[in-house]
Amino acid sequence: MPRLIPVLRANQVSFRYPQEGHGLEPVSLEIAPGELTLVTGPSGCGKSTLARCLMGLIPHLYHGELTGEVWLNGYRTSDASMWQLAEKAGMVFQNPAAQMLAPSVEDEIIFGLENLGLPPEEITSRLENVLQDFNLTHLRQRNPQTLSGGEQQRLALAAIMARQPQALILDEPLSMLDTTAAGDLIAYLQRFAAEGKTLIVFEHRQEYLDDVPGLRHIALEGKAKEERKVPSANPLPAQESFRLEVENLGVQLGGRIVLQNLNLSLDSGQILVVVGRNGVGKTTLLRSLAGLQKHSGSAKVVTVRGEQPPNLGMVFQNPDLQLFNASVRDEILYRLPRPDMAYYRWLVAALGLQPYEATPPLLLSEGEKKRLALGLVLMRRPAHGVLLDEPSLGQDHAHKDILVHMLRMLADAGQLVMMTTHDLTLASQADRLILLGPEGLLADGPTASVLEDDSAWAKAGIALPNWFLREHKTGGSG
Amino acid sequence: MRVGQTGRSHRVSLVDASPLRKADPRAKLFISLAVSLVVMMPLERLAIFLGLYIFFLWWARLLIPSAQQIWRLKWLLIVLFAFDWWLISLEHALLICTRLALLTGVFALFFSTTTTRELGLALERLRVPYRYAFSLSLAFQSLGLLEDEWRAIREAQLSRGVEPRIFSFRQLVSQVGDLISLAVPAIVLTTKRAWAITEAAYARGFDSPHRTSYRTLSFSRFDFVLMAGAVILIALLYWRFA
Repeated sequence: MPRLIPVLRANQVSFRYPQEGHGLEPVSLEIAPGELTLVTGPSGCGKSTLARCLMGLIPHLYHGELTGEVWLNGYRTSDASMWQLAEKAGMVFQNPAAQMLAPSVEDEIIFGLENLGLPPEEITSRLENVLQDFNLTHLRQRNPQTLSGGEQQRLALAAIMARQPQALILDEPLSMLDTTAAGDLIAYLQRFAAEGKTLIVFEHRQEYLDDVPGLRHIALEGKAKEERKVPSANPLPAQESFRLEVENLGVQLGGRIVLQNLNLSLDSGQILVVVGRNGVGKTTLLRSLAGLQKHSGSAKVVTVRGEQPPNLGMVFQNPDLQLFNASVRDEILYRLPRPDMAYYRWLVAALGLQPYEATPPLLLSEGEKKRLALGLVLMRRPAHGVLLDEPSLGQDHAHKDILVHMLRMLADAGQLVMMTTHDLTLASQADRLILLGPEGLLADGPTASVLEDDSAWAKAGIALPNWFLREHKTGGSG
Repeated sequence: MRVGQTGRSHRVSLVDASPLRKADPRAKLFISLAVSLVVMMPLERLAIFLGLYIFFLWWARLLIPSAQQIWRLKWLLIVLFAFDWWLISLEHALLICTRLALLTGVFALFFSTTTTRELGLALERLRVPYRYAFSLSLAFQSLGLLEDEWRAIREAQLSRGVEPRIFSFRQLVSQVGDLISLAVPAIVLTTKRAWAITEAAYARGFDSPHRTSYRTLSFSRFDFVLMAGAVILIALLYWRFA
């Protein structure tokens, strides 16, 4: 059978951003109509840059050093206008909340249809169809910023699909989604591919797509990185064991009960992971334990010598909230009167940040920024441990390995490590798993035994994907 | 450590029950501009207008949202009042604070009854180029997000032991670093969000020359009554009581 004329063609395309000095190494690819293509590669290899090149955002919105050429459905992207390219292809970005630009779900979809110059009757027809197709009809008047991550990603996809593009480019569409929402999104993508649409997905969470029939896989390599030498010796002094007792913890936000009568008894020296769908209160729980959230009930640390309030450092989901100094070194040592420099040196080595000590934090990759955010919290030596909100978000496997290694050292030294995550592979490496649902605590115990509790996962509304069940469940019910 | 948010939002929410919700946003813009002109009147006439304006807000079911907006400015109003009374006169202090409160009430009147999309549409109909009308409506829409981000930055810095206090004049030099700790993340987040929205808009054909408008605006009798009422009232205040 003759090969179809490609919808997307990149010929030795490379790009370099003006200030940052990195970008995309030369890449060539061809994508035929109806193909579902997955592009993977380590952090910093240029996946997002390639996606922008294919969509035409580079060179239309980004200026830098571009070589090679990209053809999109007969247009050379550097010659065509952005609106002409947008009629042929649509792009869904990593952070669904950041791409919402209208005050209601309806208006979000209408925006792209108006730009196509369609008459009102055609806009009404397409609007109603996509609202129904993406199960958004009941949300049509809602402000997109108030939707859950899964709903926002569905809306972002609906707003693009309403324009009926021939090709769809998705830049890490799964990274912010819980397992169920990720599964739903993949089902939608498979449906579009079956309808003959061309899809190209840039994603770290490759395992979610491995089972998709007919998937074509392209692996970007990027520049070879220096092998990091993570110190194996643990300089953290062994700590007196303690227990964190959480009693009847409750939080209301804007009149909505987020957590109610939550009781936990958490032993030190463990990695604990909190799992649940978006909106069940995972982050709120961490914020309460960090002392950042008003709550009812109590949280106290109990030792053989008595009780005290918990002193836990918090690492936020978005590291950009905390970074403002001129170098990594300044950032970690900021306002520390007598820093322990031996500990500092160990910390930057353990976090793989040694080559960047003089680098401005804002120039680091997202993975490096996350590790820096952990480093500046650890340098202050919180007495009882650390809380991490979605630490693996958008991270590749190498970054995650460094993170897990570091967290294990903290736990081995007797600290309490507690994190929230949608990443089931990361969750499976924890000692204890706390499963939250809309009604509160659904399961709490050793990770392996909670993973076997099918009814708890069903109540949580989380369908464990097949690839995960094959790897982690002994019984394998899915 | 200070305890952070309670979930209370300071943003203006839409009052669907208000009769002004149905009014054309251009008519509301007209009323808002008219009231903004009235604030330049002397105190006696301003007092008469204030009484009538409060009655109008009550009729429009906007008394509470307007009062909430003014309440949020309480410290500014108190400081202004005290300074003006101390440095100039009681009458001047009353005049300045009444003007500020009225302008705040106008802001509440417009944004409690108008979505940012309607604002953009009104600006387009007033011949403001689409690019600018869209950007301005988006800017107003982002105000609530800015507030959330500001709170998140403060919390994130608090959690690492940086406690910025913006209004403390003591130890000003040492606090410069703390202020940078707020300013740099705020600039970074705002720039990133602006880029993300720009990319999303262009990926949906924002620069298309063939754009159509799905929603339309049309003046009703109600809008003409509102605008005529505003004109008559201002004319009376200027000439009848001159």
